[in-house]
Amino acid sequence: MSQEIKKDDRKLWEVVGDYFRANSIWMKWYCTGCGAIEMPPTMTSRFDMEQLGMGPMATPRQADVLLITGYLSTKTLRRVIYSYEQMQDPKYIVGFGSCTLNGGIYYDSYATINQLDKYLPVDLYIAGCMPRPEAIMNSFGELIEMIKRGEAKGWKHYQENYDWYKENQMYSLGEVMIHDEFHE
Amino acid sequence: MTLMNFIYGFLVLIGAFVFQTTLTGINRKITARIQKRRGPKFYQQFIDIFKALSKSSITHGWVYDFGAIMALGGIAATVIFIPVAGFQAFPGLDNVFVISYVLAVGMLGMAMSAAGSGNPWASIGVSRALTNMLAYDIPLMVVVFTLIFINKSGSVADLALLQQGSGVFGWNFIKLPLGGIVAVVALFGMLGKKPFDSFIAPAEIASGPMVEYGGKQLGMMFILHELMTFIEVSLILNMFFGGGETLVIYLIKYALLYTFTNIVSQVMPRFKIDQAVLFFFRVPLGMALLQGILVIFLGWGY
Amino acid sequence: MTNSMNSYKEHFQKLLNVEIKDSPADMQLIIDVNSDKFHQTLIALRTDGFRQLSILTCIDWIELNKFQLVAILMNWDTGMHLLVRTLLDRDNPDFHTITSIYPGAIYYEREIFEFFGVHFKGNPTYDKPLFLERWDAMPPLRKDFDPQAYSDSKFPKREHPHVFKAQVVEEIK
Repeated sequence: MSQEIKKDDRKLWEVVGDYFRANSIWMKWYCTGCGAIEMPPTMTSRFDMEQLGMGPMATPRQADVLLITGYLSTKTLRRVIYSYEQMQDPKYIVGFGSCTLNGGIYYDSYATINQLDKYLPVDLYIAGCMPRPEAIMNSFGELIEMIKRGEAKGWKHYQENYDWYKENQMYSLGEVMIHDEFHE
Repeated sequence: MTLMNFIYGFLVLIGAFVFQTTLTGINRKITARIQKRRGPKFYQQFIDIFKALSKSSITHGWVYDFGAIMALGGIAATVIFIPVAGFQAFPGLDNVFVISYVLAVGMLGMAMSAAGSGNPWASIGVSRALTNMLAYDIPLMVVVFTLIFINKSGSVADLALLQQGSGVFGWNFIKLPLGGIVAVVALFGMLGKKPFDSFIAPAEIASGPMVEYGGKQLGMMFILHELMTFIEVSLILNMFFGGGETLVIYLIKYALLYTFTNIVSQVMPRFKIDQAVLFFFRVPLGMALLQGILVIFLGWGY
Repeated sequence: MTNSMNSYKEHFQKLLNVEIKDSPADMQLIIDVNSDKFHQTLIALRTDGFRQLSILTCIDWIELNKFQLVAILMNWDTGMHLLVRTLLDRDNPDFHTITSIYPGAIYYEREIFEFFGVHFKGNPTYDKPLFLERWDAMPPLRKDFDPQAYSDSKFPKREHPHVFKAQVVEEIK
């Protein structure tokens, strides 16, 4: 994802902005799969994510990072795409566990996708099935370093290659916005 | 009114923002320690606000944008009228009624902006916030009228000044204990601290009026929230806890009062909005009326 | 089987005029009926106190070339559970709706149509999509549906530069 950003060509105000963005990450914690259960110990007193300046937020509009915690069915992926597109730039995605990497144990399921970064720009993957809270905290530290160095550019990549992402989304989902009896 | 008045006003505004934001950060740390966590840095609130201001933002129509600016402008204008330790940017304009009315501009701007975003959660949040305001305002106003009746003055600075000189026993909180308790309970409602935080309720209505705010507007809302907290705590401090003879005493008292509300709110559950209204109309309103009767007909508290 | 269960069994055998063979657990009985007697069995049981339809579901027996519909009913007065089962022809899976007996079955019938392709005549909405949005293949819970092939055709796989294979290492004696 970040191979096209070779040298640090950010302007001064972007560097300052990245300092603030790295030290205050609000997350939209989208509970797609089993990884959601690893988040409460990460947020509460055992591991205390707030010491990194991170915290849960109620809506995608307010959030900076979208956590995809586990397998994504096609049905969920549609909702994740809406949520991602509602977020304000700059925004980051962290994929949890092997299901978002290559499908995991659901590699042959008719309902779950196999590779998240075909549909949305993932900045960071966490290996494991599921990753333990230590791994999650460690990866948040890595995400903070990436933002400080200006390497977490997934949102820019998504804007520049929107056609490619849209084509992949259409190929697997047929239609992103759903019209049925529950969504007029 | 000279240029110096405006410069003083600006200084009050900046000072209020910096002090209250630092205090909020320290209180986040205190909250974390209550929950046996390490907690964020004490300047985390500044980072959060500047981060929000550094993000992109969208618009949901001009009502939304205009409402946000009107809210921030109204609240910032109110801060300038607040007397801080005998210091006033515009002397003589610190009447309780002036402050209440200017504060309403900001409140209505926020309600307008949130409703203009078109999100149903925002409408629910705004209606709950206004209901909550109705609930805490009536008992508080009864007590404030009692205070004005005793002191024959509606000026916040005068009310604060009249309590000074005889130490703790001069405070209206001690002289009118029932009314003082009502005022502190109403402060919880004003600040949206638990148990009266049903209008933000993140897990229930997705942070209510704030639901559609993101990026720069969210940063403005955070600044607004800090300034509003300053106004509310300062009003109660000036009217019931004697204000401050010097700036240092004022700020220490302010920090203690705000930290007290924060600590108490950490061990509270949340009222539903109808429970909150019933509570305010039963207990604090009853206490406020009783206080008024004691003061006006029996002459207690003079 | 306890005495009370035996008396329950006799009661249902007499009520429904069928042979009851199986009891998976205490207070549970399995009633196998022909597909043309399914509705009258349900009506008789509902009048007998089985007011709740816990689930209506389907099983694909591909060797027998049959679908099996299973309705689980519960009686709140006695705590009795009944599994009423019937076999349908797999090639021509037509059935009549049970929504006139248990109105809550409307969503179960839509689910069964979506996952198995059983048609429910008399339910005007049985073929509306419910769970699978924009589904474009055969019903996915039929045994002859190949999920691997569908997944391969629809969801791109990650290409790994190295393929690691697990091997069995001989235990050293």
